[in-house]
Amino acid sequence: MTNSPDERGAELRELFFETSTELLQALNDEALKLEKTPGDEEIVRSIRRTVHTLKGDSAACGLRELSELAHQFEDALSLEGAASHAAVAEIAFSAADVFTEMIAAYRAGTKLPSTKSLSKKIEDLTAAPQASPKGRRTRKAAGAKSGVRKAAGSATDWTEYEKLAMTKAQASGQDVVHVSVKIDPHCAMPIAGRQLVQNAISTMGSVIAVRPDAKSPAATKLIEFVLATVSTAEQIATKCKIPTIVEEVSVEIMLAASTGPARAAEDATAAVAESAEPKTHAPETLAPAGAEASAAPAMVENILRVEAGRIDNVLNLVGELIIGKSMLQQTLQEFSKRYPKDLLRGKFLDAMAFQARVLNDLQRSVMKIRMVPVDQLFRRFPRMVRDVARQCGREVELVVSGHDTDLDKGILDAIAEPLTHLVRNAISHGIEPPDQRRRLGKAAAGTVRLNAYHQGNQVVVEVGDDGRGIDAGKIRAKAIELGLTTAEEAARLNENETLDFIFRPGFSTAEQVTEVSGRGVGMDVVQSVLHRLKATVNVETRVGQGTTFRLKLPLTLAIIKALLFWVEQRLYAIPLNAVMEIARTIESEVHQVDNYEVLQLRNQVLPLLRLGRPAPEGERRGKLFVLVILVGERKYGLIVDQLEGEEELVIKALDDQTFSTDLVSGASILGDGRVVLILNLPAVVDHVAKSRPEDSGHTNSGLLLTHTDRLRIAMSAMSAPTGGTA
Amino acid sequence: MSRELHIVGFQVGRETYGVPITSLHEIVRVPEITAVPDAPEYLEGVINLRGKIVSVMDLRKRFGEKQATMRKQNRILVVEHAGRLAGLIVDSASEVLKIPAESVEPPPAVFQEGGLNCVSGLGKIQGRLVVLLEMSKLLAPESLRVSSQNGEKKPAAKSEARGAAAK
Repeated sequence: MTNSPDERGAELRELFFETSTELLQALNDEALKLEKTPGDEEIVRSIRRTVHTLKGDSAACGLRELSELAHQFEDALSLEGAASHAAVAEIAFSAADVFTEMIAAYRAGTKLPSTKSLSKKIEDLTAAPQASPKGRRTRKAAGAKSGVRKAAGSATDWTEYEKLAMTKAQASGQDVVHVSVKIDPHCAMPIAGRQLVQNAISTMGSVIAVRPDAKSPAATKLIEFVLATVSTAEQIATKCKIPTIVEEVSVEIMLAASTGPARAAEDATAAVAESAEPKTHAPETLAPAGAEASAAPAMVENILRVEAGRIDNVLNLVGELIIGKSMLQQTLQEFSKRYPKDLLRGKFLDAMAFQARVLNDLQRSVMKIRMVPVDQLFRRFPRMVRDVARQCGREVELVVSGHDTDLDKGILDAIAEPLTHLVRNAISHGIEPPDQRRRLGKAAAGTVRLNAYHQGNQVVVEVGDDGRGIDAGKIRAKAIELGLTTAEEAARLNENETLDFIFRPGFSTAEQVTEVSGRGVGMDVVQSVLHRLKATVNVETRVGQGTTFRLKLPLTLAIIKALLFWVEQRLYAIPLNAVMEIARTIESEVHQVDNYEVLQLRNQVLPLLRLGRPAPEGERRGKLFVLVILVGERKYGLIVDQLEGEEELVIKALDDQTFSTDLVSGASILGDGRVVLILNLPAVVDHVAKSRPEDSGHTNSGLLLTHTDRLRIAMSAMSAPTGGTA
Repeated sequence: MSRELHIVGFQVGRETYGVPITSLHEIVRVPEITAVPDAPEYLEGVINLRGKIVSVMDLRKRFGEKQATMRKQNRILVVEHAGRLAGLIVDSASEVLKIPAESVEPPPAVFQEGGLNCVSGLGKIQGRLVVLLEMSKLLAPESLRVSSQNGEKKPAAKSEARGAAAK
């Protein structure tokens, strides 16, 4: 009964699930506001508007339990003086939670969560004498006015959905009839009897509602039907009177068939009790209903809900076009070489430039479709901060800025979890308890800052707090204790390097967390998500003054500007925005420190990562290209064989079921059809950090060598054993 | 009831192998292959198949041939399995074989171990034996991981050694 079986219904539900998240978000926001300014009637009214919309929508989708609960809540709010009740905000919060759970359950098709505690709270709020004692059957204050219920005169109340169906049936010229059938208590097979009655009734017209449910224990005593029919009451009664099964039948007409459309409309509003038609209503409920009605169509006109897959499709095609563009460019270059004086060349160049420009615009506009303001994510936080702060006994003020910074939807969804972790950590571990803060001369309420802004080709999202900060010394001690590093090595680490330890998996168990002033819970989760997004995180902390985590995210996941280079006769690419500079040097400038190769570049010492084969022993003259890259906050030098150039790459996923390597984050196709692999820099750096060579004289190299390369090198080095990593 | 299996036959080494024609997407000449670092040796790399990136496995290496050189007759069988494409390098692709279902025998038990658990049966046709391959097993991530262990052993051993040293 609660399921609308047809496809249209399913579509409607899908739409409802989408819009409901916005409604619930609004509910949370309003509850927060109300908490700040208790007793504000305007806010209570707006909560009621939200709940009302939710109720109407869910009823239209046939989600009976949800609409009933929302209805109950709405009724409670419309009571005189409800606004002044202190508990309203609290109830709104728990209502938002319960509604969310219910919607999730509907969506997944699982069992609905218990709504008893919420119903109870709402009842307490109303605390009016007419509230009857048994659970969810009580919410009918508004329904009592409606024509349907008066005519029916029974204890059963009908859902919004059913009421709607009734008025529709009436408008289409059918009588709506209430039939109650009492099953003979001596009937041998009551369940089968019920089925027989149901069959009989359904031949007379279309059944709108049946009470109670077939599953309920009372299912076989008294059954009530609402039927839309053209038959008369007598006909129905005769049909239902099945000997030995049915004891008694009573048929009442609830709504007589309407005579004209005007009347139908009027009845509809009366019967459904609250609908968009404001005329027939008590003035108090008018405004919200009217406002909703006028707001809804405006939204429909301007906003198009499109399945993300379709946009991705367009983006893919744009990607193909970009490959096509570089194909053309290459051909043109060849053409220019062959016929340097041809007049056509200029025309070609003009056409190409024009096409490139349009393509650029096209790409940008398509990408913009995928962009959503980061506010969509940020707005969840006020509620979460409030809850967490309460749990931890902290006073926290959340300051959000940069809400309208745009970010790719895919990235936004992916960082939701890491960001939650960071905010939670900031509150529970960063911010001190109020009394401690007062002793330290800080304001009792800590501040958690969320900020987002564009920086070059990246979006930066910051989570900051003004809490106790992270003590690098303690982390160092812990890292040594856990065997992640040695005392002597730890002493040499700078602050950034030390803070990196908090992202190591296993660095964070509950006990350690309290010892090392918090940070670390789930930080490896944060790190792994960011790795996947090719994003980086850096930490800035001052003991006693607070910590800021800065996530640097790519603008989009689909197209990047990349630098192409050769290693071992193979072409690779890295994102251009990671490249700080390109340096040239010779082998003899490369020094070895503690089995790491380093290069002194102006005033700094750069750790080197050798991607190709190791430097042959004794040969110290070769020229080298070193790409200075920035990963997180640290610079590294990549030794490559040769540079190819810069190109716009459309990222295509590698089949990651086949290739389990994380060194490569994707592949792309160049204009001439070659495949180029895009390196995942954080993983490359990680690999080097993890596989420290322990034999003296052996440096790390050959990260990008394949099996065959290694064989070849091993063969050639057979005489003089210089080998690489393997 | 004589049901016929339609099999695409191809040579790897001296044997004829076969895959069901329904799982075949197309047969292409071997283009330039981009090697992927850190991959097991029989995973040759990726190719560009008209704008799609397809990973390619060298069946010759998968079936134990150490030195596999590319020749003109080499082909890549692009197969489709579970919605994704994969390429198999073979020595040559021959013909479509129709094998009556009753002349297919289950694989000998000895095949179930090691790298040959992807054999689903042995078909007999005109006195020849055709080894029938099961795509799901051939391309299953587990089977790939098992056989790629050789490549991973060393780093693992290394990290153990390091762990011991740290203590």
